Amino acid sequence: MADTNDILKVENLKINFFTRKGKVYAVDDVSFSLKKGETLGLVGESGCGKTTTVLGLMKMIPPPGKITGGRILIKGEDIIPLSEDEMREKIRWEKISMVFQGAMNCLTPVYTIGKQMMETVQEHKEMEYLQAKKRIINYLNLVGLPEDIIRRYPHELSGGMKQRVVIATALFLEPEIVICDEPTTALDVVVQAQIINLIKRLKKKLGLSVIFITHDLATEAEVADRLLVMYAGKLVEIGTNEQIYGKRGPIHPYTEKLLKATPRLHEKVEELSFIPGTPPDLVDPPSGCRFHPRCLEVMEKCKKDIPSLIEVEPGHWIACWRNTND
Amino acid sequence: MKWIDIKAGFKDFWNEFKNVKFGLFGLILLFIFILAVFLNPYIVPFPEASSRWRDITYWEDNPVSAPPVWVNWFSSTKRAPSLIIREHTFSEEKMRKMKLTRTIFEYEYSYDLPPLDVIFHGYAKGSPVIMLNIERPDGRIVELVRRPISKSDGKIVRISIAKDTRIESYNFGAKYESPEQNRIIREMVKPTSILFSEAKEGILVHPTPLKGAYKIIAEIILPSETDVVEDVYLSLSGSVSGWLGTDNSKRDIWSGVVAGVKWALLIGLLTAFTAVSIGVIYGVMSAYLGGWRDSLMQRIFELFVGIPLLPVLIVMSAIFKPSIWILIIMMSCFFWVGPVKTVRSMGLQIKEETYIEAARALGSSSSRIIFKHMVPLLIPYSFASMALYVPSAIVYEASISLLGLGDSTIVTWGQILHDALTGGAVINGLWWWVIPPGLFIALMGMTFAFIGFAMDKILHPKLRTR
Amino acid sequence: MISEPILKVENLKEWFPVRRTIAQILKGERTWIKAVDGITFSINQGEIFGLVGESGCGKTTTGKLIMKLLEPSEGKIIFKGKDVTHLEADKLKEYRRNVQMVFQDPYASINPRFRAQDVLEEPLIIHQMGETRAEREKIIRRALEEVRLIPPEEFMERFPHMLSGGQRQRVATARTLVLSPSMIVADEPVSMIDLSTRAEILHMMKTVQRELGLTYLYVTHDLSTARYFTDRIAVMYLGKIVEMGGADEIIDNAFHPYTKALIAAVCEPIPGKSNTIKEVPIKGEIPSAANIPSGCRFHPRCLYVKPQCQEDEPILKEIDLGHQVACHLIS
Repeated sequence: MADTNDILKVENLKINFFTRKGKVYAVDDVSFSLKKGETLGLVGESGCGKTTTVLGLMKMIPPPGKITGGRILIKGEDIIPLSEDEMREKIRWEKISMVFQGAMNCLTPVYTIGKQMMETVQEHKEMEYLQAKKRIINYLNLVGLPEDIIRRYPHELSGGMKQRVVIATALFLEPEIVICDEPTTALDVVVQAQIINLIKRLKKKLGLSVIFITHDLATEAEVADRLLVMYAGKLVEIGTNEQIYGKRGPIHPYTEKLLKATPRLHEKVEELSFIPGTPPDLVDPPSGCRFHPRCLEVMEKCKKDIPSLIEVEPGHWIACWRNTND
Repeated sequence: MKWIDIKAGFKDFWNEFKNVKFGLFGLILLFIFILAVFLNPYIVPFPEASSRWRDITYWEDNPVSAPPVWVNWFSSTKRAPSLIIREHTFSEEKMRKMKLTRTIFEYEYSYDLPPLDVIFHGYAKGSPVIMLNIERPDGRIVELVRRPISKSDGKIVRISIAKDTRIESYNFGAKYESPEQNRIIREMVKPTSILFSEAKEGILVHPTPLKGAYKIIAEIILPSETDVVEDVYLSLSGSVSGWLGTDNSKRDIWSGVVAGVKWALLIGLLTAFTAVSIGVIYGVMSAYLGGWRDSLMQRIFELFVGIPLLPVLIVMSAIFKPSIWILIIMMSCFFWVGPVKTVRSMGLQIKEETYIEAARALGSSSSRIIFKHMVPLLIPYSFASMALYVPSAIVYEASISLLGLGDSTIVTWGQILHDALTGGAVINGLWWWVIPPGLFIALMGMTFAFIGFAMDKILHPKLRTR
Repeated sequence: MISEPILKVENLKEWFPVRRTIAQILKGERTWIKAVDGITFSINQGEIFGLVGESGCGKTTTGKLIMKLLEPSEGKIIFKGKDVTHLEADKLKEYRRNVQMVFQDPYASINPRFRAQDVLEEPLIIHQMGETRAEREKIIRRALEEVRLIPPEEFMERFPHMLSGGQRQRVATARTLVLSPSMIVADEPVSMIDLSTRAEILHMMKTVQRELGLTYLYVTHDLSTARYFTDRIAVMYLGKIVEMGGADEIIDNAFHPYTKALIAAVCEPIPGKSNTIKEVPIKGEIPSAANIPSGCRFHPRCLYVKPQCQEDEPILKEIDLGHQVACHLIS
């Protein structure tokens, strides 16, 4: 997976939550890399650890969570040993920024958009007021918003507009990596399509590398160049857009099932398939392959041994025992 | 709400409560108060104080305005405390049909101030004759009374040395006193102070205590075989009495104060419970019904908030002379406004929950939604505010009683204070009459205030500092 | 599909008054949020009828109007041949035995303090069904089995926080089923549920519908599940139905520009789209329901707008068998 083009490299990342019930294996031994100018999709059910993984990249895990192992390399520099101050000054929003889940609720209702954005700027960069204002307007235009937005209050804007404001704020300090955590989930289809288009355009224009998180494989097909499929804190499949959505389709039974459960508008299906059961409790994850209790093709081996990611074709990695037997 | 649910909830609550120090202190105080209610008969000398507070006969053996016994610990003049002597030696002689019995009570006197009275008690049937003598440590025997009892099927005999032996005692004392002092008026001497003093000059005016073993001898002549005097005992009304002394009507303050615990708890808890229940339901209804009904209910609420409670209570008490129950109802009628505003705002929030809408879609009636879905959520808050209303209810009752408008069939701390006020306790320096009930009101208020604040702190996370 | 209509809605309107300024009160002006502005449709017995649209189009309000959680401003609702537009309390209770609702958020629609059993017992107690506790328990057990919470004993004692989103929605569905209603209003029942279980819930709802011969009004913003789940679809825009017809017909042969835009906007799991930008044939964003454009209310966003569109409000016309469209583009 090593590549000089890698702007971000995550190696064996482990994140645990130390709760009263016990240690939660929220992210367990996750490794992946992000190339420059690439959109990496991160898919999985809620509670599978996708948000925790990216919060880990920002080193913003809420307590009682902790990064307990692994390395996070941004352009070859490991950020795990960095202090909180260094993270805030050098990394967060400067190198890597994030559009949060339900981001439109992140805006404070009592301040105008301009004032809120100005605060972010002045926190990070010493800039004159007029210069900063000009920059804000530039970025608002970039996300397709008119100039007069800076005088408006959040409640005057629609959900889509607020999402654009949040994206503009995330891009403001010219980060190279942008993480979008379910940026379209709460939006209507039309607005969702518009936001996805916006993200694609910005990516091209600014040469961004994007990590796009969603639970919806259909949305991911529109944006992701490469996909990471996560299940119960572990990566189960990595593949390119073509590999996952193409003729051959996904290989891991989980991805396969998830894709079959995704309704397609232009195909009339009588029965949608689904994955029986519920995701496991991560305090006490199942032995062996974590998916085995829900897998229809489970073998004895799956219950005992943990499968590791194996490259089955160039760029297509799978963690499944069924595959090694082929 | 199922039992396991309540248990789990309570466990969580207790785990947090344990960490609030003053809350725990309040709880301990409350526990002591409750213990005092249940152990009342064992910890007070007069367990019927509550029901017989105004019955003079119940208190007649007590001294008037005696300070508490523990003043002896701080003073060089030791005063004789109140005492009941039941132990006695008994002997009898038969003389044909008649019987002569001799009952001897022994009293070890080692104080500087004698008891105020020594009273002989007995239950007599027929027509016996009772003779009371006292044998002093110096060997002198004073014949005090000779009293024939009129024939009856049984009655209580009570012979008070202080009242019934004035002449005999005076005569005894006068034998030793110098002639010029003898002119002292007979009515002015206290028999006990003569009987327990050295037989020398000054016995009437400046008596010196004669310490040692005294014997009080009751000789009883029983003329017929059916005649009998039973249940004899001697009670000494000391010059100090009980843990908190006595008032000017001979009542034991300690007994009264402990009896008041029950009433204070009752008034406080019942008023708080009724008032908060009404307030919570009113607030929830106002929130749930909304629209003009809400506006109307809020205006009524504001009307009640505007009424000054104490003056109204005073006027109403003066007119109706209420019993404690009516007083509780009257207080509840004004106290309910307390939680309304908060509950209404909480209710407005709960009302917007989807499950309330779902309940409506299921066809639930308004009352079912209010009582099944909304009120249970407000119960923790209700308990916290209840705890905070208990002290005010107690103080209001005390204020009414202090003005002499309380329920006269029971004893409350406010009433003890009222009696102290009218009895001139402050002017006469009877501090033991004023301080204890006041202190208990303060303590009880503190108890519930502490518990209430602790609960408030736990149940309202916003108040948590840190 | 030639069966009796179980529910008929005629020119139904729901206008919410907007708080006026003093000047407006003095002038006697009144403004309204026209959440639902005159819709007419009918649902046949045993049919699944989909109401599709963006947020703010009035689809949820319509659901609530039919559920009688709101009083309509105008129009008629006819259920099984009876006018139920305005009902007395006791009649309303009876109506609610027949028409039930599944809410969007299974986390909010169940009282967190109730165990699954209490949740299901509520409607039985309210409607005095099941004489004894044991009898009620039997009904509850059966309902839980119907929604595939098996074995029921395992779930009856659980509190909502011990259930997953999908399981909660099953409990919420079971709650409606214990009353054996003839119609269920399902307001986005799967939008808050994970994709992997979404299909399972829809599958369960469909099975229940077939087994018990229920009628569903399925309110959603998601065309793909609507196609899979429903028999007929009505597309709503700003309080009006713009297109209505068979589910497949609407999606494969959409006529109205708005429906076309909605369809174009749907993401599909097809490879090779990550580098191209898919334009949605629509302009701007949905306007506020307090300020509805004149003429065809879609005209400011329409790419095919004609002068006529700004003046006349189009009415629903049949362009094919059972396929109605409200658009001036029909020649």
